[in-house]
Amino acid sequence: MKTISAWLLWLWVSLVIVGAFYYAPLAEGFQGGSSRILFFHVPMAWASFAGFIAAAVWSVRYLMTRDLRHDRSAYVAVQLGLVFGVLATITGAIWARIEWGAYWNWDPRQTSILISLLFYGAYLALRGAVEDPEKRARLSAAYAILGLVVTPFLYWIMPRLTFSLHPEPVVNAEGKPKMQSEILQVLMASGIGFTALFFWLHNLQTRIQALAERKSAAREQGYGS
Amino acid sequence: MDLSGGNLGVVVVNLIIWTGIFLWLLRLSRRVREMEKES
Repeated sequence: MKTISAWLLWLWVSLVIVGAFYYAPLAEGFQGGSSRILFFHVPMAWASFAGFIAAAVWSVRYLMTRDLRHDRSAYVAVQLGLVFGVLATITGAIWARIEWGAYWNWDPRQTSILISLLFYGAYLALRGAVEDPEKRARLSAAYAILGLVVTPFLYWIMPRLTFSLHPEPVVNAEGKPKMQSEILQVLMASGIGFTALFFWLHNLQTRIQALAERKSAAREQGYGS
Repeated sequence: MDLSGGNLGVVVVNLIIWTGIFLWLLRLSRRVREMEKES
């Protein structure tokens, strides 16, 4: 990311922070200012979902081209998906403590994100268990593509199958967001900011990973000669 | 926009944390670029 784009992102997210407290009104039916967490919790969950789906897309590209750069991109997308997923779970638990009286309630939403995190935690374990880079890339690509079915099911379908205390999602059963326009504007702006942050982090982590791989290859060559 | 009120402290803390993360990422980005040039 160019420095000017990075500073634009800083300005954008800063405006989202100010907007979340001074532009958007408090949502009805929530205790105190707890609805403000929505502006950070929902985009984090979105970034996590986007990371897992992007990992599946990069995995498909890897299987089509056998280019290990796509495997690296998929790996980093899962790492970031997990980071944002954990942050979404923590912010959700803080909100649940205020609204429901307990951090963890085994609500379908909480359960589904936990299963999702465990599913992708197993992806990292799988990668750690296979040494051969080609074999590791092939196996983890197949696993990440399976996530293309598992992730939408866990994020969108499972929480709707049973009764949940979780507030209605932004895009509900009727396909229309039911919230005041100021709230929706800040939420969308935050979603854009978090998506841009995700891609910046992805770019950085992929390059760091490439450098680390190059260094370890050079070290192995050194030992071999 | 009325900036007086109880939220000002929370907003300032949020902005400081975000700016800190941002500057760290910017520095990391510069460092990665340097390392790529070196290798």
